Order: sequence, then C-alpha cells, then structure tokens
Amino acid sequence: MTASAAPANVAPVALSEGHRRAQRAARIRGVIFAALGVMGLSFASGTMSHDVTFRFWLQQQGGDAWEFHAMAGVIWIIAALITGIGGILQLWRGASVSWRRWMALAMPFWIAAIIGTLLAGKPAVLTNLFAGSLEYAFPIAMGAFAAMICERSGMLNIAIEGKFLLGACVASIAASVTGLVIVGPIVAALVGVGVGWLMTWLAIRHRVDQIIVGTVVNFGALGVTNFMYLRVLQLNTNLNTPPTVEAIKIPLLSDIPVLGPILFSGTPYLYLALVTMVVLTYMLFRTRWGLRLRASGEYPQAAGTVGVDVIKIRYRAMMLAGALAGFAGSYLSLHSAGSFQINMSAGKGFIAIAAMIFGGWNPIGAFGAALVFGFSDATQTLLSSLGVDVPPQILTSVPYLVTIVVVAGLVGRVRGPAMAGQPYEQS
Amino acid sequence: MRLELREITKQFPGVLANDRISISADRGKVLGLLGENGAGKTTLMNILSGLYRPDSGEILIDGEPRLFSDPADAITAGIGMVHQHFMLVPVFDVVESVALGAEPVTGLVHTFDRATARKRVVELSAQYGLHVDPDAKIEDLPVGVRQRVEILKALYRKSDILVLDEPSAVLTPGETEELFAIIRGLAAGGTTVIFITHKLNEVLEVADTITVLRRGRVAGTVLPDETSREELANLMVGRDVELTVTRSPAKPAGVVLELVDLNVRDDRDSMAVRGVNLEVRAGEIVAVAGVQGNGQTELVEAITGLRQVDSGSLRIGGQVVEHASPRRVSDLGVAHIPEDRSRDGLIGSMTVEENYILDSYHRDPYSNGGRLDWKVIGEKAEVGVREFDIRTPSIETHVGALSGGNQQKVIVAREFSRPVQLVIAAQPTRGLDVGSIEYIHRRIIEQRDAGAAILIVSTELDEVLALGDRVAVMFAGQIVGVLSSDQATKEAVGMLMGGVH
Repeated sequence: MTASAAPANVAPVALSEGHRRAQRAARIRGVIFAALGVMGLSFASGTMSHDVTFRFWLQQQGGDAWEFHAMAGVIWIIAALITGIGGILQLWRGASVSWRRWMALAMPFWIAAIIGTLLAGKPAVLTNLFAGSLEYAFPIAMGAFAAMICERSGMLNIAIEGKFLLGACVASIAASVTGLVIVGPIVAALVGVGVGWLMTWLAIRHRVDQIIVGTVVNFGALGVTNFMYLRVLQLNTNLNTPPTVEAIKIPLLSDIPVLGPILFSGTPYLYLALVTMVVLTYMLFRTRWGLRLRASGEYPQAAGTVGVDVIKIRYRAMMLAGALAGFAGSYLSLHSAGSFQINMSAGKGFIAIAAMIFGGWNPIGAFGAALVFGFSDATQTLLSSLGVDVPPQILTSVPYLVTIVVVAGLVGRVRGPAMAGQPYEQS
Repeated sequence: MRLELREITKQFPGVLANDRISISADRGKVLGLLGENGAGKTTLMNILSGLYRPDSGEILIDGEPRLFSDPADAITAGIGMVHQHFMLVPVFDVVESVALGAEPVTGLVHTFDRATARKRVVELSAQYGLHVDPDAKIEDLPVGVRQRVEILKALYRKSDILVLDEPSAVLTPGETEELFAIIRGLAAGGTTVIFITHKLNEVLEVADTITVLRRGRVAGTVLPDETSREELANLMVGRDVELTVTRSPAKPAGVVLELVDLNVRDDRDSMAVRGVNLEVRAGEIVAVAGVQGNGQTELVEAITGLRQVDSGSLRIGGQVVEHASPRRVSDLGVAHIPEDRSRDGLIGSMTVEENYILDSYHRDPYSNGGRLDWKVIGEKAEVGVREFDIRTPSIETHVGALSGGNQQKVIVAREFSRPVQLVIAAQPTRGLDVGSIEYIHRRIIEQRDAGAAILIVSTELDEVLALGDRVAVMFAGQIVGVLSSDQATKEAVGMLMGGVH
C-alpha cells in the first residue's frame, strides 16, 4: 500500500464538471445573445423610416403632453448593440459575466422597439401604459403578499385564485346592496378571513394535505361564484351593479409632470399596495411577529421548544392572508369592470404565486415582479386598443408567456421557507 | 438550583417508557444520565422540558413541586434544554436564534430590539467563554459552534438547570473537549447540569454522579471514582459486554481497492480529496481516521460512485470504476454502509422488507420480468431479520419506526446479503448504543475473516483503533500518514488528525 501525502502545491487540476457546465452554458448564451443582436440589426434596417411617437401626459389625462419621437430603427440598433456586446462578452469572458444584468439593460429597448414597430406609426400614450401596469399589478402584488405571509409561516396557500373570485363576487353584491363602495372590500376581506380559517382548520386540525385544501378552495370558489352569477346575479342585476372605486389624486404629488399622472392619480388600491409593501417588509424583518413567523416556516420545532405557539401563528397568518387576498379580489369587480363576471380572476391568483417566487419571498421583490406582470397586461391592453395587427389570442396570452419565461428562466436559485407545507405536530 | 425527579412514570401505548424513575442533581453539580437508546432518557428529558406530562411522579426544584404544562413553563422554572438535533433556524443569525421566543421589543408593533439582544449575547458569551460571532448565520457555523449557540440560548433565558441531550454525538474529539470545559465552567458558576449520553468515557470524564437507566428504570447510581467502564456497561445493557472486540491478526491477500492520485471536489466545487493514494487488500481492515469534514465523505462517495471523480484512478477488483454508476459499483460486490443512514441508507417510510431489497430488487430472485415476487422477498427478509438479530415487530414495519441500532442492522443485513469483496463503512456505529456497536464490529470482522477488503471511515478514535489493521489519517483532503496497528496509538493518530506530522 502506498500512501503519500500529495505535495501541497498540487499542479492545477483539470476543470471540474460544474465549471465546464457553466462555461458551456455561458457560450450557448453568448451565441444566443449575439444572434439576437444580429436579428435586432436586421429589423433595424427595415424600420429606419418607421416613425415612433410615445406620449406622456404632463398633468392629467388628455391635457398637455410631452412627446418622444424616434425612428424605430434607431431603437432597434440600440437594443441590438447592447445585446450583441453582452453576447460577445460572454463568449470571450465566459461564465464570469453577469448576464442577467445585461439582459435587464437590453430588455426595455427590446420592448420599446417591438411596441414601436407594432404600432406602425400610430402615436401611443405611455402614461396610460405605465399607470395601467401599476393598476394591473395591484391584485398580483396583494396576492403575492398573502401567499408570502402563509409560506413564511410554514403554510402552503395556493388558494389565492379562489379568494380573488370569492372576494370579487361578495364585494360586488355587498357594494350593490348597500350602495356604499367601501363596504365591498371590507366584506370581501372578511370572507377571505373565513376561508383562510377554514383552510387552516382542515390542514392543521384534520391534517388534510395543503395542496389539496388549496385546490378544493379554488374549484369550490369557481363553482360557487359561477352559480351565484348564473342563478342570482343575472336574474337580479341590481345585485351586480356596484358603485366603482374612483381614482384619488394626491394633492401636490399628482402635479409633478409626467410622474404625477402615472404614480399619484390612481385608485386607493394602488396606494394601499405600496403601503402594504412597506409595512409588510418592516413587520417581517424587524418585528417580533416577523421573527416568530419566519421561525415557524423555517424550523417550527425550534420555535416550539422555546415556547412559541406555532399553531396559533399559522392560523393568524392564514387569516391575515385571507383578508389581503379577499380584499384584492374586490378590485376585480369594483375597479374598472363595475360588476362581477364569471371567472374574472382569470388565473391572476396563480400569477401572484409566481410573483412571490420571482420576488424571492420578499415584499419588495414581489411588488417588482407584480409590476412585470402588470406591464405585460397593460401592453396587451394598449396594443389591442390601438388595433394593432396581431391576433388577439396571441396578445392575451402574453402575460402567461411572461410568467413561464420569468419563472422558468429568469429566476435564479431562490430559496423559500424550508418547511412550507409541512405539517407541524405539537407533541 | 437543586433538581429532583421523584418516581416519574410515563406510559405510552405498548411501552412503559419511564417506570418510577427518581434522579437528583445538586446545585453546581453535573449529573450524567447514561443509557442505551430506548432506555427512557429522551422521554425523561421531554417530561423535564414540559413537552410531555408524566402519568405520575413529581418534579421538585429546590424542594418545591412544579408542574409543567408546556415548554414555556419549564423555561420559566429555569430549565434550559440543549437538544440533540439543534433547535436553530438555519437562516437566522446568532442573535435572532438566541432571542427567539424571548425577544426584547420596543414600540407599538413590537419591533425586535436587536441591539439589546445582541448586547446580552455578547455579554453572556464573554462571561461563560462561549466564543461565537453574534452576527454569523447559523447555517454557516460548524456544529461545535452551533452547540454553543444552543447553550447561549439557555443562558439567555437565565436557566439554572441545563439539560444536554447527547451533546457529543455530532462533535469532533476536540470540540467535545471544549464542550467539557464549558460544562465544568458552568457548574463551577452554580449551574446544575444534566448530561444525557450513551458514551461511557464521557460520563466518567465529566459527571459528578452517574445514574444509569435501563429499559425505563434506574439501573443504578454510582460515583465516577468508584466505578469502571465495565460496570457501567453492565448496568446499561444488563449483561457483560466486550468493550473491545477481539480479532486475530489480518492475513492480507490481493489488492481489492486501489486509489491513485485521486482528486474529488465537494458540493461547493473546491477540492475536498487531494491526490489520495490508498490500497486496501482482501482480508484486512483499513480505518480512515480524521476530524469530520476533511474529505472523508467525498472520498467514500467517489468510491461508491455517488460523486464524480475529478481526476486520478480508482479500481475495485482490478476494474476501472472512476466513472461507474453506483449500481455498477454495487454489482462488483461492494457493500456500502453510508455515513447518514436515514438519508442515504434507508427509506424511513418504507418497510423493513422493502428496505432489505433496495439494492437488488431488480434482480433474481426478487424480480421476475419486472414483477416483484413478494413471497421470496418476505422469506429472504425474515432470514435477514433473524440472522442479524433485528428487533422489529414484523418485516412490514416502517424502518423509520425502529431504533437507530436496528436501522443500522437492517442496512448491514442488506449489504451483507450479497457476495461481498469490498466493504465501505462510513461511521458505522454513529449514535448507536454499546450493545449494537459490539454487534456491528463483530459482523465487520467476520466479513474480513471471510476474505473481504474493508475500508472503515470513522471520526471516533476508539473505533479506528479497535478495528483498523492499518490506520490512515486524513487531514485537509490528504492522507497524512498510514500507521500499522501497533504504531497506531491514541496520541500518534490524534496528532496526525490535528494536522501535526
């Protein structure tokens, strides 16, 4: 037998499998980026004479506007150059290039170029696009916050969709009956709390699998609201004609040129989403409640052995999340629609869960992710309202395509709470 | 404070876990609570920490009877627990982990007052010599330091009675020594310490009195100066136990395992095994000693096909296996007793018989054209259970429900049920009681005498010295020395383990 201690300064060893794989991936990305760059340039040559006009309202809808003029070709060239340089850098420097940053930089130009080309010379008002992104982002962000609170406490809540639907339905009825718009969101939130309690009771007390509980609530909500709509609301339309939530201009701030109409002339929903984001961030990471909540989701036994009541924390988290999700549901019927429609949540509850993951189980990240989804929704609305020559089926599927791309491709390795979905048994 | 348990009885369905157990520990003293797995130590501890309520009996603190209905009560009464599996949230930092459940707060929304908590942690760690970076994340800390955090957690809650459950199970010899120093320091400062373990040497070293439990009862209370390892082992097991297995000198034959310049990377892509050269011959046991985390895990995974070899050559029975799959390696007649039996050795939620065929379910006689022959499987599993003395209600019992010793026997029974030319055993007796250790050691020596080549990896010095015909010491990914069994003394191996050579 020979056992020699190898010399301390070992000759450089061949690259490991992991390294090789990263290098190969970087090369593939480099080629794709470079190809996209070339593609962008080829689009540029065809669209050099193509006029793009983007308009921003200065003070208010329909008032004075600030206009941005450019040739679509120029935007294409910028987008192509950024992408191409990123691709060449990756081919040259390999895996050390932070390609996500290059992509984030190139993305706005690609989007501007694509929209500009599709508009085919028609002027577009981007104030509406951005303000719309924020509005569309609201239910997704709020749903993401709700799902996040649950998962941080160790509960898996996939029933955001169901709570949206129930919230939308009861909000419309409650607001119609009372004639007071404020009653809608309150009742919706209360219904959400009840559903949240029921889910927790089933999952904790009766040990029903949390995915199954969530699925049951989603389908149950769809069935109940369909029934309500077809059998009750359609026959008594006065039950489904709620007052709508009006936009509120924030004094002074809404007078800021360009930004005012985008950020500070929205509905209370938008402001509440921002407030929730800030408050929730503080509560999660700076308070006793947050510390215990996160401990319950990461390692409930650790919390239990120091006398923290994990079960109670999980009940409360689920009920709070129910309130947020139900409240967000009221947006669907009380915002622009002005009535409840069948399946009007249309998968937003699931996109909210995607936003939570994309945002790394963090309120600010989740809000950012919700904006991405809101933007794709708003773009679709903008393009179809301008009668762009693209099949509507393709346009409406854009938000879902974005979800797939974001969750599958863009999200790096993010780590959620370790014990989400695992039942905890207090011995 | 003085702690006394009087006539504690706890009945579980089918098991009398604690049968009129009485123990007592004086202020500033260390009580060693010794017992095998299943002797009732853990139940007793759970009663003391408020997780269980006794059916009868009393807990007295300073002579006053106390009743605990939940963990918070026990904490208030001054009892601090250090659990065997650390109760620490991996993504929290030290301050958050220590303060959890007893957080200082300010303001309306109970903002966590981190500054105050951090100050207490720093003070306590200075006062008791528990060195730890208060801002480090738990998951980045080595186990020895995590244990200090656990002790800090108890001290932070002003515990006067500290209960440590199998505290050395996860520690290296050096960390264990540090722990003992900490325990002595705490006792000198007036803390009452209850030290639960199954390791004879440890109670002899650190305890002021030793109470031995066996099958839910107190088998005896002795003083360390007036007893011996043999007497303690006898009290624990209820019969005389051979503490060192006798073995005849090895008769090495041809080379079975041959490693040349082997390099292996760990999960973080840094080189964990560096240029290792090693031969293991048929009929000999080579024991690899070393502190946990010096490349032993990666070495074993590379040999068994579970991890990519970076470079170098690896032969088993003359066959080149650098890039072989685990199944190919196992087909060559390699038995693998993995380091972490619940993760890599068994599937806890599957039955004893299912686990028994995990390595050969796809072969005759178990599989018949893709269909499992449960009759044959059952018969063979019954044979294994009998031959290896596995204590299980039936072969249809979930493996996860068995004790650690019996789980390990299931693995050994499975691995030895095939013709074997090489045995790779990593930490084969970790967490096992004296009786099971003796049994597993005997089985391994039997395999050697039957002509198999054996590679044992262990961090337990006693085990390495008891079994190794040759001892190879690993440090920082390299084999820093190979000693024959008469050269291999505790001191010599210990020095090499610490990197001194």
